Amino acid sequence: MVLENEAIFLVDLLAIFAVYLIVNLSLNMEFGYTGIPNFGKVLAVGAGAFVAASVPGRIFAAMAGVEGDYVLDNLAIVSQVNAWLVDNTGIGFAVFFLTLGIAAAVGGGLGILTSYPAIRMRGDYLAITLLAFGESIRIIGNNFTPLVGGTLGVQLPDPLSFLPDEIRFSVATLGLVLIAAAVFVFSEKMIRSPLGRLLRAVRDNEVAAESLGKDTARIRMKVIMISAALAAVGGALYAFYVGGAIAFAYDRASWTFWPFLMILIGGLANNKGVLFGTLIFVTVRKLIIFFKDSFEGLVPFDIIWLDFLLLGVILLVILQYRPQGLVVEKPTATVGGGTGRAGKSRGGAGRRLFNLLFR
Amino acid sequence: MAIDPIFSDAVIFASLLSLLSIGLTLTYLTTRVPNFAHASFATIGVYMALVATHIWGVTPYASIPVAFVVSGLVAVSLYVFILKPLIRKGASQAILMIATLAFDLILIAGLNIFADFVVQTFRIASREFTLRSYDAELAGLPMIVFVAPAAIAVLSLTLYIVLKKTKFGIAMRAATENRDLSETVGINVNRIYVVSWMLGGGLAGVAGSLMALWFQGDPNLGPLMIPSIFAASIAGGFLSIYGAIAGGLLLGLTEVLGTRFLAGEFGSWLIAYRPLIPLVFIVATLMLAPRGMAGINWSGLGRRMRRHGSGE
Repeated sequence: MVLENEAIFLVDLLAIFAVYLIVNLSLNMEFGYTGIPNFGKVLAVGAGAFVAASVPGRIFAAMAGVEGDYVLDNLAIVSQVNAWLVDNTGIGFAVFFLTLGIAAAVGGGLGILTSYPAIRMRGDYLAITLLAFGESIRIIGNNFTPLVGGTLGVQLPDPLSFLPDEIRFSVATLGLVLIAAAVFVFSEKMIRSPLGRLLRAVRDNEVAAESLGKDTARIRMKVIMISAALAAVGGALYAFYVGGAIAFAYDRASWTFWPFLMILIGGLANNKGVLFGTLIFVTVRKLIIFFKDSFEGLVPFDIIWLDFLLLGVILLVILQYRPQGLVVEKPTATVGGGTGRAGKSRGGAGRRLFNLLFR
Repeated sequence: MAIDPIFSDAVIFASLLSLLSIGLTLTYLTTRVPNFAHASFATIGVYMALVATHIWGVTPYASIPVAFVVSGLVAVSLYVFILKPLIRKGASQAILMIATLAFDLILIAGLNIFADFVVQTFRIASREFTLRSYDAELAGLPMIVFVAPAAIAVLSLTLYIVLKKTKFGIAMRAATENRDLSETVGINVNRIYVVSWMLGGGLAGVAGSLMALWFQGDPNLGPLMIPSIFAASIAGGFLSIYGAIAGGLLLGLTEVLGTRFLAGEFGSWLIAYRPLIPLVFIVATLMLAPRGMAGINWSGLGRRMRRHGSGE
């Protein structure tokens, strides 16, 4: 069975949705719940992707006894490794999950290192520091060739090589969606725990939290560590899914700006909102790319810039007129407890309509 | 007389970085929002220089006033139409920062569209172009080597006189120190903020049009320059214009000469990692002197060291 065009479109949409959902949930944990303006989200995502690009391929090559320089002979090595993986599915999966673990560790470590200098400073200093570090990931990836092959990029081995071509993408997508669902559940559990309430206390009133003996800088750092680890897993999964990694793909627009846009569309501090925001954004963008060719030639410039322009304007409009997003933050239920009903009652007809439709 | 071009490079880069840091500090002083779109204001200046040289057929220096006005107006529109309404609605600083990031994205998209348009309409290179050959010569060196530091010297003198001696400058300092109090004594704070944004954006535009004479122009310069500009401003304390000048000069010289020195010691592969120097600068500033050079008690430091020396 060969996938139809529409089905390919849908499967790809779901996969990208799952990757962005992981990244956005981690950003929501930082920005929505704890109020950390992490403008260097791309750092953790890129780090995860770079780990996936450099580590598993070399492990497989060493195990399969494939000789050669991993970056220079990348194509040949990866195709030999993929052939070897057909008969070594178990090892393939073990190394795949090991890679995710390494990516999480590297991402978390980088999160701590890059936030440490500014963690006790005012929010804007932390934001600037993280943004500056975020810009560095591309420079390192572009120039340190053993990592992702510099400006040429590298291919990744596919642990699903044993599957026939027709169903491989669908299975990969299913796996991505399952992992994203697990991250969603983890994030929900975490914010409903005492730690989650503490995060909001740090966000809403730092002085009050400190007066109760909470070390707010330490808590912020912990959150940055956890969410950087999650984002790195998202980055590694993305690299595995697209089957390759190249440094310039990890830019500020794709992995910092768009995640912010998605969580702001959906509503801050609200995982359900993140779900909607991500779905809307990914679908709209996918449609834009899908129909891009039909616009070609109508305007005297590359259509991609119109897309940037549009997204920038959309974000500014949301900030001005609907800063709370589509789904408004409400008091969260504790684990096993009921929902608090005495929430803020912002929004009028739109919110009632929303309640009617979705609850 | 042969001068190593690396020194021209260092002088020009340091001067332009100072110019950009002054602009960033001016806008930060008023609204307390780190403006992430600041570097793209300079990119607008770069394109004004391209337009002046190739389309109007005049010297690139003629683009300076145009760049000042265009970039200044873009900066004012960011303040008036986007930041001011958000501030009035009580948006947090983080939301304001996101708004400047969004504005930056719009500017970058606009500049790219403009670059595509220029290529198609006038058939001239509008990406990775340089205007070096259109510069005049002075004492065997390109004029920009003298113009860039002179611009900084003139500007710091002017700013000093304006801020210390004129009624407007004093009102401006008052408005940035204490908004409410200035309003009660009858200062039109809003007008002062608008002027600051005009000046801040305008200076970035000037820096951009000068930049085109030495460095490669590209619509995506902004994201490349942002870490340097912020590192220089943070090193200067972020709230002091003179600190911004000092921070810009220090970081500019360190970036160019430091990279050269390290490349000489360890090999030329290091040159590609030059963009990491601003990061080291930010980290060092935050760890050692978080309030920047303007926050260090220099005279106290000198006294302490002298006392220490004589006491031992």
